[in-house]
Amino acid sequence: MALDFWKSSHAQQWIFDKTEIWKQRAEDMKTYSEEEYSRLNIFWANFITAVATECAHSQANVGCKLRQQVIATAIVYFKRFYLRQSFRDMCPFLVASTALFLACKVEEHTTLSVSSFLKNTALVLPKRWGVAFETNSAKNGVLYDSEFILVEILDCCLVVHHATRPMFELLEDWKQHTLTSTNTPVKDFDQIEIQCQKVVNDTLRCDVGLMFAPHCIGLASISVGMELMGRGEELEDWLVEVDTDMDKLADCINQIYTMYQLWRSFDEKEEVKKLMAKLPKPNTPIPPPQQQQSSYHM
Amino acid sequence: MHNYDKMEKIGEGTYGTVFKARNKSSGEIVALKRVRLDDDDEGVPSSALREICILRELKHRNVVRLYDVVHSENKLTLVFEFCDQDLKKFFDSLNGYMDAQTARSLMLQLLRGLSFCHSHHVLHRDLKPQNLLINTNGTLKLADFGLARAFGVPVRCFSAEVVTLWYRPPDVLFGAKLYNTSIDMWSAGCIFAEISNAGRPLFPGADVDDQLKRIFKQLGSPTEESWPSISQLPDYKPFPTYNPTLTWSQIVPNLNTRGRDLLQKLLVCNPAGRIDADTALRHAYFADTSDV
Repeated sequence: MALDFWKSSHAQQWIFDKTEIWKQRAEDMKTYSEEEYSRLNIFWANFITAVATECAHSQANVGCKLRQQVIATAIVYFKRFYLRQSFRDMCPFLVASTALFLACKVEEHTTLSVSSFLKNTALVLPKRWGVAFETNSAKNGVLYDSEFILVEILDCCLVVHHATRPMFELLEDWKQHTLTSTNTPVKDFDQIEIQCQKVVNDTLRCDVGLMFAPHCIGLASISVGMELMGRGEELEDWLVEVDTDMDKLADCINQIYTMYQLWRSFDEKEEVKKLMAKLPKPNTPIPPPQQQQSSYHM
Repeated sequence: MHNYDKMEKIGEGTYGTVFKARNKSSGEIVALKRVRLDDDDEGVPSSALREICILRELKHRNVVRLYDVVHSENKLTLVFEFCDQDLKKFFDSLNGYMDAQTARSLMLQLLRGLSFCHSHHVLHRDLKPQNLLINTNGTLKLADFGLARAFGVPVRCFSAEVVTLWYRPPDVLFGAKLYNTSIDMWSAGCIFAEISNAGRPLFPGADVDDQLKRIFKQLGSPTEESWPSISQLPDYKPFPTYNPTLTWSQIVPNLNTRGRDLLQKLLVCNPAGRIDADTALRHAYFADTSDV
């Protein structure tokens, strides 16, 4: 796993350090402070999840519940997109819907159209965040373009390595380790799995996915998950033996806690409206390759 | 597409027409795959999208290179490295004779390409001679990843109709939904036999039933013993016991003993017993040069 990760486009093109990340967001940092942007990170992830889960409730798509992996992939596309572009370049709501649409196809999931995600956007935004949204751009021409634009900006790197799989492998390894070294099985292992899965999903709300390898995030999620359950010390013996960069791990854990802290103090109902009011109006029309064509080299 | 001079049509791919073209600035010959965007709401076909993102991750001598993705208006064009012919056309040029060395070289390259894909968690799922390209140096390259997928996450069900019937393993013919790299290994086995026979397909079934019958006539019908839980497969139905009428040396007369041994390790009905690409590459057949 780790081996093929390091050879992937994810490892080679989409892992940055903190300074690089904020530098790439320079245009949007004229509008938002770093803290506001971090709140937006939480909001966008919540929003994309809400749009995706709304599908399960809407009449037209009964029973079509998007898998967590599709949602996670879409969130990663969204975050990568806005490293290369600013909110002014392309409307984030359209980017979010297109990201979900692309993720469905890439993860070989039942595909819903971009317009159905935009419809969900119009439902979810006012209901949950009190923000108005009109699906005025939902014409197919624009949608085709939005898909092209995403594929292009993402440089065709659509295979994303998530932390979930390595996390479960690491948990299994810890379970075996505990069993052989103490001769007692881990207590409430299924509870631990649920808790760690929750944490790993929450990591999509900060920038760790743009900074660390999936196994590092997996390991950090286990540490945080166990800590939250008050059972952190059970990992100690095992952690010493795990082959990983401890500084990076500590940094990653730290960022997850910082995100949780920020999330707790984040009154979405109140603040999102203000953050959205500051959202730069997209350059209209969306700057697409109508006449000009674009090409990206591999 | 101003950078390319379109030359001639080479074929129809899974999702669009393929043209030979010349890059105006470099003079390089490439293959252009024009993606049709017919369905209003669907945008870029998933097969094209999967091919793009999978080939983006796979760079190997035995995997066709995707150089560029170009979009203009509502068209998407994939720019591939150009290969002179596919394995099927290559067969046609042989007049029924394939020398042992070429056969081994082709098989070796097929397995190398597969081993690379599999190590990157990519299944091809649609291997057949038409999807194996051969350039003038005799280099073989896996192509047409339109049905490929990145595996790893347990997936409940793949798209219904994958893999051309002739190269489809019995587990998939019985409706198996959960499959893995073994699907490609079976296809590789069928292609191996076809290569050694200079293009005569091994199991050219007319329909699913006929396909299974042809397989079991050669390999014997599987039982719960040789293939535990076979009867649980969605479309399973029992087949009579056939008495093989032909021996392996009659079926693949041009393969030596080691080659026949490798072939039989690839063509195992129970997917769990099929050899994997890495192990196959270490098989004695590839160490053997005595028959050259």
